Amino acid sequence: MEFSDLIRTRRAQAKLLRGPEAPPLRGTLCLTGHHLLLSPGPQATSELWLLLLRSVDSIEKRVASDSGTITLRCKDLRVLQLEIEGVEASLDIARSIEALSSLESVITSFPFFYRPKGLRLGDAWHFHPPERYYKRVARETNAWRLSEVNEDFSVCPSYPRAVIVPRSVDDGALARSARFRQGGRFPVLSYHHAPSGTVLVRSSQPLTGPQKRRCAEDEELLRAVLAGARPGARGFIVDTRSSQAAKQARMTGGGTEAKAAYPGWKRLHRPLERGQPLQESFVRLVEACGDLQQSTDSWLRRLEGCCWLAHVKEALSTACLAAQGMEREGACILVHGAEGTDSTLLVTSLAQLILDPLSRTMAGFQELVEREWIQAGHPFQLRCAHSAFSHARPKHEAPTFLLFLDCVWQLGRQFPLSLEFGEGLLLALFEHAYASPFGTFLCNSERERCLCEVRTRTHSLWSGLNQPKEQRKLRNPLYAPNPLAIWPSVELQSLRLWQGLFLRWIRPPEPSEVAWEKVWQIVTDKEKTKLSQPTVSASEPQL
Amino acid sequence: MSLLRGLLGMELIETSVRLFLDFQEKLASLDSALILDVPLGVISRIEKMGGATSRGENSYGLDITCKDMRNLRFALKQEGHSRRDMFDILTRYAFPLAHSLPIFAFLNEEKFNVDGWTVYNPVEEYRRQGLPNHHWRITFINKCYELCDTYPALLVVPYRASDDDLRRVATFRSRNRIPVLSWIHPENKTVIVRCSQPLVGMSGKRNKDDEKYLDVIRETNRQISKLTIYDARPNVNAVANKATGGGYESDDAYHNAELFFLDIHNIHVMRESLKKVKDIVYPNVEESHWLSSLESTHWLEHIKLVLTGAIQVADKVSSGKSSVLVHCSDGWDRTAQLTSLAMLMLDSFYRSIEGFEILVQKEWISFGHKFASRIGHGDKNHADADRSPIFLQFIDCVWQMSKQFPTAFEFNERFLITILDHLYSCRFGTFLYNCESARERQKVTERTVSLWSLINSNKDKFKNPFYTKEINRVLYPVASMRHLELWVNYYIRWNPRIKQQQPNPVEQRYVELLALRDEYIQRLEELQLAGSAKLAEPSTSPASPSPMMPHVHTHF
Repeated sequence: MEFSDLIRTRRAQAKLLRGPEAPPLRGTLCLTGHHLLLSPGPQATSELWLLLLRSVDSIEKRVASDSGTITLRCKDLRVLQLEIEGVEASLDIARSIEALSSLESVITSFPFFYRPKGLRLGDAWHFHPPERYYKRVARETNAWRLSEVNEDFSVCPSYPRAVIVPRSVDDGALARSARFRQGGRFPVLSYHHAPSGTVLVRSSQPLTGPQKRRCAEDEELLRAVLAGARPGARGFIVDTRSSQAAKQARMTGGGTEAKAAYPGWKRLHRPLERGQPLQESFVRLVEACGDLQQSTDSWLRRLEGCCWLAHVKEALSTACLAAQGMEREGACILVHGAEGTDSTLLVTSLAQLILDPLSRTMAGFQELVEREWIQAGHPFQLRCAHSAFSHARPKHEAPTFLLFLDCVWQLGRQFPLSLEFGEGLLLALFEHAYASPFGTFLCNSERERCLCEVRTRTHSLWSGLNQPKEQRKLRNPLYAPNPLAIWPSVELQSLRLWQGLFLRWIRPPEPSEVAWEKVWQIVTDKEKTKLSQPTVSASEPQL
Repeated sequence: MSLLRGLLGMELIETSVRLFLDFQEKLASLDSALILDVPLGVISRIEKMGGATSRGENSYGLDITCKDMRNLRFALKQEGHSRRDMFDILTRYAFPLAHSLPIFAFLNEEKFNVDGWTVYNPVEEYRRQGLPNHHWRITFINKCYELCDTYPALLVVPYRASDDDLRRVATFRSRNRIPVLSWIHPENKTVIVRCSQPLVGMSGKRNKDDEKYLDVIRETNRQISKLTIYDARPNVNAVANKATGGGYESDDAYHNAELFFLDIHNIHVMRESLKKVKDIVYPNVEESHWLSSLESTHWLEHIKLVLTGAIQVADKVSSGKSSVLVHCSDGWDRTAQLTSLAMLMLDSFYRSIEGFEILVQKEWISFGHKFASRIGHGDKNHADADRSPIFLQFIDCVWQMSKQFPTAFEFNERFLITILDHLYSCRFGTFLYNCESARERQKVTERTVSLWSLINSNKDKFKNPFYTKEINRVLYPVASMRHLELWVNYYIRWNPRIKQQQPNPVEQRYVELLALRDEYIQRLEELQLAGSAKLAEPSTSPASPSPMMPHVHTHF
């Protein structure tokens, strides 16, 4: 297919309005297969303005006698307005943007054409998270092994090729356990907590069904998890559904682990919102934030009505529960909901941030996102197809990953020194998850990424972000390694609306950005003096 | 409170300073004794709970209501009748005024290596502002507090107004609080003037001298033909005040003035609002509908109105190039909030630690904010309608600004909380009495220690490590509900559940950063000294930031 088929008008004269703070831009508007460009006249001093079409969430057009206005609402929650000369031209451009921004095909998407200067294809794709992470686990315990039972993605299409499993369970048993779990997602290691010797394991729901089926290999697998920790260890199964929902799932073939079949394991239910209700909460919140006309005295009530902060609270407290089970109770934790690709990952990744100081470093956090979200099979393409502005009927969209980023932001706010990265990285991940020139968040699973040859034909977001020039935007200038677990307060009084994201394009960008720039200045100045005076640094964590 | 439950024995050690309660934990779970350190000045009310026939655990004892958002409840053993003694002693020392005892500040013999009373010298402060100049003069007409007993001795008034003019104007202003200068813009020379309401009354009285006086004020600035008057009250309240002899400047009488109402409510509304905040945060935090309950206290809405009013004042002076007159009814509550916040926005000097002390000393203490009545120092009448958290509200507004401009203030959150703690503690003389004349009669500066002595002798503890000194930058905070938040670290600080379960390392890191910052600045100065011999122009100063990166629209 040629993009040119979809482009009805290539150029037009236009004026771009970018919100109340930024001055309007005038120039020639051009449309390409992947971008909308605005080139200011030769005499203008401002640079070329560019928008990735993929980041357009919804388009609204209005025409007057000899011009048209297009309102573009972007996936990163920006709202842009284009005033275009000529009614025909504006309608053509609107239709073209509409068609080009909703192309489904992965291999014609922009990451397959993006060839930035200074980056080499294949760089930073060397992350092989399960293998890399296994090296660390192997140093800490001998109870686990790396299995390649999923080498060809036949056992579980949404798992990576290699997974970490109890040493005493062979590949045959894994394959049979996989047949007993939805989507083949049998229990695999998510995190080994070395100080307590316990583990965090994740899976999907067991397919017990109405007949309460059992699976000997699955039971053996979970028995081996406990035995690997220490003889007589206990375990908790954190089910992210209510007990009623879990019971109901039996009617459609799913279910929960029967108590009798899994001795030593105790089930806890912590219902987390997911799917469409979560998407609706996101949409309502963005709507409330953008509604500047509303009478001011009802803002808090409206914020409460969106329930977003309540979801943040639930996610964080479930993660705390899992982390506490390991650190304080010395128990192993298995987390699953139904598919095990959404709220399950939310809980396991947050629990690691709370417990594991390495995951709070720049590199460690990127590895965590890669391992616990991308490789673990969170269906980014489905979940992030649309953001909060889309008029299309939601199908599989859900802001689970955004909820994760918000929880991380809350952690960073409560522990301003303990995360090596700052708000900038979280904002970048949000943007790139929804629309990106990089290939990292493409597709729904490792299997799909292999089919599309994402690794060899696109650039990795991590290599883009880890360029030196990006560092100041992404790092936390106050970072000081903290070897302890960080237990957040999850009371609503301790949580805040993430203004940097939800009010990013509404508030004047000044004070806080300028302020952070100054903080950077002070801190880097300090480091210079530090370097000039050799002192023994005792702050390196001993891990 | 929950911490205190289940304690079997209690030994009460009283001094007139503090209530030290030493609990010997006998349930064996904890080895260390819990020490509760409560200044007696913070106590608002003491009640006995339960009687001799009370049954059940913790039903008999004392309930102490504090001014700082908490209640303490002590369960006592019934045998021995020790409660009455304890109640009597506590009442005696917590409310010394009712027992003809001195307030603790007069007994406090603490010594500090700096004297906080020297921080504020009105002549020096006006000189810093460039006063007197050929439009404004310093007058000692109120030297013996004869013109106005709630004003300071030293006032700045228009050069062209004679002392007799001032006396005549005083008759037409509530409690003789005539319009006087609070602040002058260093460049455009517009001024912020404060006063009380005019005594217009039901009949709509006029006063030629007052009208002329305001016109004289207007004429000190020739850039704009009108004087702007901000009446802090809601319009209806200002009208209602006519019934009691007050009112506002009418258009007919004051042709060259424009009047705006700022809709800020009175002390009673603020008191009730804070009471509601306390209800939702203590002893139990409202769980299920936190945000809507917070909304229904209207506390943040009041904060918003005060900030919005101050922004208007600051903007009028700075961008509108118009002189501004601010008043409410008596000119010692809302007026003080508005002038001091506007000055904080306009003048970076007040954002330093000493500058802020001077601001409080000048706009609040010397201009007669009735601290004694609003706080009720040593007074047992806990339901007094004169009590109101006006100063707390001001400090809250300052905190909101410091959140929005993290590098603009030299002081940190602890500084603000310390000020509030000693607003009630009665350990220092700083906030005692209602006005300067009363403080002078009591020789407060000779007989008590200043709060600023405590702070200035240990400044590092109160410093913000990210402070970047900027001259002439006007701060306009965003006063929208979306950008205001409840000051959790103050209002809910007694609740253990909102604390993170880890000792907070932030302060430690801040101290390190401060030390390094000073070191760096010192080194840089040395280098500049060394370099200035060779270079005519020194390189960039340590505090000025480099130009920001242009904002990136999108990525390729």
